[in-house]
Amino acid sequence: MGDPEGCRCFLGRLDVPDDERARVYCRLSEALYHQGNRDLAADYARRAFELQPQKEEVANLCAWVFSNCGEHRDAAAAYEQLLEIRPCWAAGHRHASGSFAAAGRLDRAISHGRTASDLDPLSSEFACHVACLLETAGRAAQAAVYLLRAAAIEPADAGVLRHLSATLFALEQSEQAVALALRAVALTPTDPLNALHATELLLRTDRYDEAAAIILAIAEIHQQDAVAFRLLSATQMLRGRAEDALVAIERALDLSPQTAEYHLHRAHLLHRLGRLDEAAEAFGRAATFDPSNPDLKRSQLAVYFDSGRLIEALAIGGDLIRASPDNQEYAEAVLQVLHRRLEMLHGDYIVLGERPLRRALQLRPRPTIFAALQTQLRVVYALMMREARTRLAESKLGYGWVLLEPVLHILMLSLVFAVMMRGRPPIGDKFFIFYYTGIIPYHLFVHASSSMTYAVANNGPVLQLPLVSTFDVIMARGLVEVLTDVVVAIILLAGFFAVGTGVLPYDFRALAGSVVAVSLFGCGTGFVNAVIYAFFKSWDKIWAQLTRTLYFCSGIFYVPGVMPDWIRDILAWNPVLHAVDWFRSSFFPEYEPHWLDRSYLAIIAALSVAAGLCLERGLRRHLYEPL
Amino acid sequence: MIALDGVSKTYRTRNGRRTVLDNVSVTFESGYNFGVLGVNGAGKSTLIRLIAGSEMPDLGVVRRDTRVSFPLGFGGTFHGALSGRENVAFIARIYGARVRGVLDYVEGFSELGDYFDMPVNTYSAGMRARLAFASCLALDFDLYLIDEVTEIGDQRFRQKCAAAFRERMQRADIILVTHNIHTLRQYCDRGAILANGKLTLFDEIGTALSRYHRLVQESL
Repeated sequence: MGDPEGCRCFLGRLDVPDDERARVYCRLSEALYHQGNRDLAADYARRAFELQPQKEEVANLCAWVFSNCGEHRDAAAAYEQLLEIRPCWAAGHRHASGSFAAAGRLDRAISHGRTASDLDPLSSEFACHVACLLETAGRAAQAAVYLLRAAAIEPADAGVLRHLSATLFALEQSEQAVALALRAVALTPTDPLNALHATELLLRTDRYDEAAAIILAIAEIHQQDAVAFRLLSATQMLRGRAEDALVAIERALDLSPQTAEYHLHRAHLLHRLGRLDEAAEAFGRAATFDPSNPDLKRSQLAVYFDSGRLIEALAIGGDLIRASPDNQEYAEAVLQVLHRRLEMLHGDYIVLGERPLRRALQLRPRPTIFAALQTQLRVVYALMMREARTRLAESKLGYGWVLLEPVLHILMLSLVFAVMMRGRPPIGDKFFIFYYTGIIPYHLFVHASSSMTYAVANNGPVLQLPLVSTFDVIMARGLVEVLTDVVVAIILLAGFFAVGTGVLPYDFRALAGSVVAVSLFGCGTGFVNAVIYAFFKSWDKIWAQLTRTLYFCSGIFYVPGVMPDWIRDILAWNPVLHAVDWFRSSFFPEYEPHWLDRSYLAIIAALSVAAGLCLERGLRRHLYEPL
Repeated sequence: MIALDGVSKTYRTRNGRRTVLDNVSVTFESGYNFGVLGVNGAGKSTLIRLIAGSEMPDLGVVRRDTRVSFPLGFGGTFHGALSGRENVAFIARIYGARVRGVLDYVEGFSELGDYFDMPVNTYSAGMRARLAFASCLALDFDLYLIDEVTEIGDQRFRQKCAAAFRERMQRADIILVTHNIHTLRQYCDRGAILANGKLTLFDEIGTALSRYHRLVQESL
């Protein structure tokens, strides 16, 4: 019965009883297993087990053969059979559990494992085994119970401690987990697995410096451990030492140059250090080892974007979108690159941002005449303020000169004529007042009419504002001139009183009438001048000549009464002469010139205003052409 | 609503008169953002100034029943000798806005600091642009005219401008002239093409853009 051939002959016979046959199958199976013929060995074991499963020695042998031949399902059945015979066999439960686990029946494996550990609570191996199974099943809390049992049996087993630490960390008992990990490291200071585990936990609980101490020591001992250097790099990065982190990861890459993740980590570090070109190159290298990783491509795109290499970024973006067409984040990243690209194509992009939602617009009512008039007044007022401020800002003397000019003028005339006329003016007894009454109306006319000439030309920029018309700028300038002159006149008169030569006008109606009339005349003429100047640029020179002539023809430093009649009749055509005499008569009661015709001045003033306004309105479109 | 009624506008140039608009009658309805397309020299900026009222047509009238802005970011009205504050006060007075309020807003938004009280002559181009942009925003217009606004300031300031303008666009329309097709598509619902003295409106900006591309290709 020793050789397999003999056995087969024996089995060929029909009258062999079952128990004998099963025994022979067992022997055959054992022999075949020792010869290395595992498939056949398992086959014979199966036949034996089918014949007499309840027989202990058969089941024992079959379980042994099955589990050694990798037939875990059959082995589990055999062990269960055995356990029916010997239910308190702890090692048997452990074997059954192992076979069930290998056969993929986790629930049965766990129940046998628990029975084994409960039957033999002093075996740390049994406890660890159940813990592993429970963890695989996701029951970490129960796993922790068995691991605690194991740790109680073998308090100095660093492996068990590490295992327990990992489980507790998963249960979010991080302090205990870290303490256990540190104990494991203390027990086996040179073991890389325990050290790496402890470092990882310390990093996750933000205890970077302790982590650094452990990982630095282990990297010193295990100079060839790439994982240690990878973890060291992460530690240094978290401690803010990007340079040291870079050194560490490069060391890891020397040891394991094919690992895509190491290249990726190095690329991120370079990106963080601002070494964008090197980072881009590192991402490229990572991509050669792991070409299908979309997160890697996303990071690569960010580096290209940050370093302004938009074309490369778009190429990566294209791959990214093709690989994950439904990922919104990738699409947005590519869109961002496209936006920047378009901005660079057209330098003139608008500062707006994305399109907002809109409400329906409410129409404003049409302005009434009153409102329109209000607007006009507002605009003229604003222009006057600007005009006044501009004068102040443009010259150092500013308004000082406005006051100084007539003062010097009157002083000079007074001096010259005081000598020539031996101390007595033509009317009254005060030189200052006499020349004052000549100069003021003349200035009212000349200042307004002359400076309004340039109003349109000087205010080109302001006319770009839709609300500002040429009328407004001309009018504003005229008003500023007139108001300035009136204020100057009042200040001068006050000044005369201060030096003791003051005289008050006795006829305020004549004073007001003459001032209004001559101002209107000046402004009307100013409008005409502004229009002529728009078409005829030399007009201001001619006008300057005319005003100079007017100075001598207006009775400023003489009274027309002293002129021969025929000359006076010619001079009387000059409206400014009437203005001067009208103004003068309001100061000197004895002065009643028979040639003075107030209505003539009024009519001329009205005509000039009408002509100026009509010309301005009619030719408005041509007064000014923006560049 | 902006209505051009029989509007003609020509310019004197060295090579005789150039016609920008030739008897054009169109209506820019309220509630839509318009993008104006046209080749260089077609007169887009003139059109904007006609709509603004900065310029007057040779013939015809432009009717407006909304408050129309001066071109956004246009700093040409600033007087160099006056300070930023005085210039802004002037514009506020012109538009009848509360001078104090406008001044406070512009001072805060433009971030000019002490320069706000210095003559505008001393400003850099960027500071001028900031002042102009802020004063345009400070006044509450119904229709903003934008003629090729270039970028102002740094990234942060641009974002601030964008946010402020976005808020404003919730209750205001724009008429936009730009060569940036991206921007046009983003902001405009309707389009207009200005070519050879004729102004054609389109109900869809997309239609206007494709028509414009064809036009440019034909003329090449």
